[in-house]
Amino acid sequence: MMTYIVFILSVIFVVSFVGFSSKPSPIYGGLVLIVSGGVGCGIIMNFGGSFLGLMVFLIYLGGMLVVFGYTTAMATEQYPEVWVSNTTVMGVFLLGLLMEVMLVLYVLKSEEVGVVFKFSSVGHWAIYDTGDSGVFSEEIMGVAALYSYGAWVVIVTGWSLLVGVLVILEVTRGD
Amino acid sequence: MNPLIFTTILMTVLLGTMIVMMSSHWLMIWIGFEMNLLAIIPILMKKYNPRTMEASTKYFLTQATASMLLMMAIIINLMHSGQWTITKVFNPTASIIMTSALAMKLGLTPFHFWVPEVTQGISLTSGLILLTWQKLAPMSILYQISPSINLNILLTMAVLSILVGGWGGLNQTQLRKIMAYSSIAHMGWMTAVLAYNPTLTMLNMLIYIMMTLTMFMLFIHSSSTTTLSLSHTWNKTPLTTTLILITLLSMGGLPPLSGFMPKWMIIQELTKNNSIILPTLMAIMALLNLYFYMRLTYSTSLTMFPSTNNMKMKWQFETKRITFLPPLIVMSSLLLPLTPMLSILD
Repeated sequence: MMTYIVFILSVIFVVSFVGFSSKPSPIYGGLVLIVSGGVGCGIIMNFGGSFLGLMVFLIYLGGMLVVFGYTTAMATEQYPEVWVSNTTVMGVFLLGLLMEVMLVLYVLKSEEVGVVFKFSSVGHWAIYDTGDSGVFSEEIMGVAALYSYGAWVVIVTGWSLLVGVLVILEVTRGD
Repeated sequence: MNPLIFTTILMTVLLGTMIVMMSSHWLMIWIGFEMNLLAIIPILMKKYNPRTMEASTKYFLTQATASMLLMMAIIINLMHSGQWTITKVFNPTASIIMTSALAMKLGLTPFHFWVPEVTQGISLTSGLILLTWQKLAPMSILYQISPSINLNILLTMAVLSILVGGWGGLNQTQLRKIMAYSSIAHMGWMTAVLAYNPTLTMLNMLIYIMMTLTMFMLFIHSSSTTTLSLSHTWNKTPLTTTLILITLLSMGGLPPLSGFMPKWMIIQELTKNNSIILPTLMAIMALLNLYFYMRLTYSTSLTMFPSTNNMKMKWQFETKRITFLPPLIVMSSLLLPLTPMLSILD
């Protein structure tokens, strides 16, 4: 099973994305976001990115999602929508599940999936992990590079976040 | 809106477009587009009524979808070429998806449906920013990837846009919708010549921005958003009726006004590349555009449009000071003799 762990985790990832894309109430969306965040963390850790996985748990799940959960709990309605309460939501969820099942069967049957690009289930995952730099962990080097070579990216994304907050406050302020 | 916040958000719109135009890394370009989109939403929503909310929501949804398509095209390009620089799109699939994404951002057919509805729902100044500044960023990316765009798709979208822009504007009396359809048609002209000579695309963009800027300034000056309201300008400031006449005819592409220059150059470039039917069709379809511009001039400057007697006088608000209006008018009508200067663009 461990050889296919990334594949299994990615299937759970997609299923939980389908779970919140079918638009139940935000509380339940947050629930599957926790699952998808944890599973995504597992996928990254399987490629050696332990720091990034920790970031996902701490910052994304432990910071942003907690705040989201609290605000949704303040604004929720009396009977929030579950996946089985509304025909539309259940229909979309089942459709997404069906498509994922068909894709999984396609991948398992034939060795290659050639939808937009050629993709073979286990082999190609390994190929994209290019550049064996030996001693250093690539991922920590990547984070360090973000603050040295990628200083402009940090400035731009920081500014975008600040402006994002300003925009949201401006839009929800009303007159 | 608090003036400091408004200035910050406006500067972020400018910064977003600048980042798109100056970056060589696909991810930064995508970030620039997102920053631009995020920051222009409160500008579109400056007045708080349901129409602006609906227009801003429509704009946000279409542009976010286009950004997602752009991101997918960027990732497919990364998978097939292994690098992030914006020289050439190495995969036909990525190229097609990217062209569709940028067409959605520009408002080319078949993704043009949001342009009239969004332009109609917002104020004149916001519509001005939407139709001029927001076209710069996607057009600059199209310019940079122009060698690798699928010609069939590009020309189909261009010709259909000219057709839709002309035909769709025929039944309109709201000025903002007329300007929106005019924008769709001009975008069609710009993308038609993109594969042959991208410099002419930039020339057309420049002259289109000047003419649209002038038209919107004249509308803002007379505070008019419908044809009927515009037809009362003879009463308020008779001079602007002549200026509206000249600018509208320039937008229609009539010589000897400067709007003729891009159309002339584009048709010449297309015929140099041995396509005769295409520029003929494009020129014929530009007549549809000219028709509704002529109808505006007919009701505004050429006749004293009939209206009920108590509507003949327009309420005289304090005159808005429109900076740069005279130079804009001059530039949007008298630039044609400068056409030989285009040879310096080599």
